[in-house]
Amino acid sequence: MNLLYKSYYYSSYQCDNKRCFFVDFGDKPVKLSFCQLLALRQKVNSIDLNAHFDSNSNSHGIEILTLCNREHILILDTLQVIDLKQLIKSTFGMLELHALVAQTI
Amino acid sequence: MKDLVRQKISINVDIMDLLNQQIKKEAHSSSAYLAMASWCDQNGLNYSAEFFYKQSEEEREHMLKIFKFINDNGGTAYSPEVKSVMHEFNSLQEIFEAALDQEIEITKSIHSIVFKARKVQDLSSEYFLQWFINEQMEEEQKMRRVLELFDLMGTDGIALKLIDERVKDI
Repeated sequence: MNLLYKSYYYSSYQCDNKRCFFVDFGDKPVKLSFCQLLALRQKVNSIDLNAHFDSNSNSHGIEILTLCNREHILILDTLQVIDLKQLIKSTFGMLELHALVAQTI
Repeated sequence: MKDLVRQKISINVDIMDLLNQQIKKEAHSSSAYLAMASWCDQNGLNYSAEFFYKQSEEEREHMLKIFKFINDNGGTAYSPEVKSVMHEFNSLQEIFEAALDQEIEITKSIHSIVFKARKVQDLSSEYFLQWFINEQMEEEQKMRRVLELFDLMGTDGIALKLIDERVKDI
């Protein structure tokens, strides 16, 4: 398995043999197909971080995410959400970088 | 390391995001035309109502075209949520002006995706969007032609009814 990116709480991997991705959520490694990774990206990107700092919009400062057609559920606090956003952004950045390198070689 | 992303998806992921945003805009546009059709129906402007029902259908077809393009190429299209559709208008002229503005916004949005596709060398998306560029030119022309009728005939008396009747031929 190839490490794509490691943030403070989480890390992402690509597995060439199984042709899939893994996200390690600390105590829970989750296997994701590319479509599921795209779905996670969409969900994470649509989280409104500003709402976490507005007690009227998100009074508890938590976010509930379901993954892989509700096979997994994650409950994240603000710091974890920030970290997950970073992980997703950097993971896709690394994948793009890898594609560029592969193209030039 | 294998390039799994390229094996799974034929279009650039950032372009996929922009196309998903475009889906939302087309859906909003379709709903906005439906609201305009409803206003025209309520005000006895039958041909204009028919015109906007047809426009609404066309916008939905555009939305589905993009929707299918994303899914066919390995991406994920998201079903759009439509918010804040305007239902109140002062006149038929105002409706057509709003319709033209809406089409101009859609055109600008399509152009900006094409520029981005060019930048990231996503030729498949750029080629796909060429059809939309031509289509948008036609859509804008349609609205302009109706607005020219208002310039020519005004909106007093029978003029409004005559304009409504001419809308069916545009």
